[in-house]
Amino acid sequence: MIDIRRVCVVALRVVRQLKRDRRTIGLITFAPIVLMMLFGYALSGEMSGIQLGMVDLGGHPAFISHFEGMKEFTILHLGSEADAERLVSDGRLNGAVVISPSEIHLLLDATSPQIANAIRNAALSGARNDVPGSGAQIVEKYIYGYDMDMTDTIGPAILGLVVFFFTFINAAVAFVRERSQGTLEKFMVSPLSSTEIVSGYILGFSLFTLLQSTTTLLVVIIVFGVPLKGSPLLLLSIVILLGAGALALGTFFSNFARSEFQVVQFIPMVVIPQIILSGVWWPIQSIPDFVRPISYILPLTYATDALRAVMLKGSNLRDVLYPDITALVVFFTISFAAAILVLHREVA
Amino acid sequence: MRALDGLTVRIPRGVTYCLLGPNGSGKTTFIRAIVGLIRLDGGDLHVLGKHVSSVRSLYPRIGYMTQHRALYPDLTVQENMEFFAGLYGIDGQRRKRRIAELLEMVELSDHRDRLAGALSGGMYQRLSLACTLIHEPELLLLDEPTVGVDPALRQSFWMYFDQLASEGKTVIITTHLMDEAERCRIVGYMRAGRMAAEGSPEDILRLAGLKPHLELRLEDPEGEASRLRSEGYDVEMSGELVRIRIDGHAQIKEILEIVAPLDMRLREPSLEDAFLTLSGAT
Repeated sequence: MIDIRRVCVVALRVVRQLKRDRRTIGLITFAPIVLMMLFGYALSGEMSGIQLGMVDLGGHPAFISHFEGMKEFTILHLGSEADAERLVSDGRLNGAVVISPSEIHLLLDATSPQIANAIRNAALSGARNDVPGSGAQIVEKYIYGYDMDMTDTIGPAILGLVVFFFTFINAAVAFVRERSQGTLEKFMVSPLSSTEIVSGYILGFSLFTLLQSTTTLLVVIIVFGVPLKGSPLLLLSIVILLGAGALALGTFFSNFARSEFQVVQFIPMVVIPQIILSGVWWPIQSIPDFVRPISYILPLTYATDALRAVMLKGSNLRDVLYPDITALVVFFTISFAAAILVLHREVA
Repeated sequence: MRALDGLTVRIPRGVTYCLLGPNGSGKTTFIRAIVGLIRLDGGDLHVLGKHVSSVRSLYPRIGYMTQHRALYPDLTVQENMEFFAGLYGIDGQRRKRRIAELLEMVELSDHRDRLAGALSGGMYQRLSLACTLIHEPELLLLDEPTVGVDPALRQSFWMYFDQLASEGKTVIITTHLMDEAERCRIVGYMRAGRMAAEGSPEDILRLAGLKPHLELRLEDPEGEASRLRSEGYDVEMSGELVRIRIDGHAQIKEILEIVAPLDMRLREPSLEDAFLTLSGAT
């Protein structure tokens, strides 16, 4: 049985400790801003697997074969512009091209500027290859809002990234300390259970996650002008769920570190892959096929996707429930169980 | 590797029990076995009348002070105490009273707002003891509780331990210091995971059959030593000193009639000597 009062006692202690750690507080507030400035404008790689809808109303066969010849796109032929628009706004397609003799419409998902760019560039070079004299005007239509830049898409993703990074490292360090200063052994001979310890930590850290995410969110909205279209409550709930999973994961990993220094060595193993492969900086579509399966087992991939959807597209809970929230719940459950297991094992 | 092989101990309630022994003799291992942190491969262990397999349910009645001291250096003295009080569900007035009482006892009342990490070694130790006592445990397991504590305060620790024992609480203490062992009701001397000898300090001295001896500084050590030997005394040379084993204090007078020492000293057998004799070590 979990005693909620004991959980709160642990949480209060964690908050008191964090509150005193000014450097960490400063770091978690400014790190997201610095990251956005550093990476806000950059980075675009070779892409593949962009799901592109194609509506052919006649007139430009060379333009179509140009698209079909490009390895970036997986092309789905559709009957009407309305169908294409619906599939793009559902998120089933990354974009669509509607070709008629007089105009070529590009239906773009503005929440992924790099993908939108790739489609735009392909259309421009396709138009140059087209039969001379039959030139049609290219019209861009954004399914979501407006022509966004990198800061727009990175903003919501940074939220998740920083929470994951901060919570994972801090939890691992905190538990290495609990071990080395003997408090964990003392807990083992007290009424406090492993479940209560981890729950208390989650509660305590969640308060800080909330604080950190709210600050980051305000900066992202006010300074970088990123729109918040969905519910801020849903947004913060996603961040908290991700943070809870990261905390449990950090607790589990602390078992394999004997010192704080060894915790730092987890960064290349656990944190860097998430930074690179979870679609924070560049879309999953630009990640080579053979590593992409890794992207789909990383929790940050789903958090990033959900945070972007809520912030930029105004998605509600139902929209992001599957696969994003489901994946995060699974991640949390497994990490939590693993954390409890290693703490338990220490007893005997 | 086998640890605590063939160890049989019975610790009655309401005593101060000392686990004495050199480093690596198994004192800490034994304590960790009592609180269930080490699973036994064989043998039997009962704690407060219950089998050790259900020791978890006894944790609210056990106080355990590890050698690591188990405190949060980034919390204040007061916050550390509040945290451990909370773990045992102690709150409100009782918590306030208990914390004030214990801080008084360990002489940290004036430091309650200092960070534990900024305390001196001895203070840190005292705070750790106070945190261990917060829930008034019936069974106290203290692993080297007085290391780094100054002599005057050590004295008051021991008075407190005696007081706890007189209230019916059991205090088990590990130490490698003889003078501390002598203060306990029962001493168990451990060597290499075994109980080499056990009993009250007086019993152990008697059991070892050690006698006091007289150490004399003489003008002519060699000559006078042989004179004493011829009178039937058990004499041995220890450097410049002549050491005579005596049966009782009455003999001192007889010896002084034979020789006139420049200086002399009476040495009572120590607990250490007794343990060394009993465990067959030299």
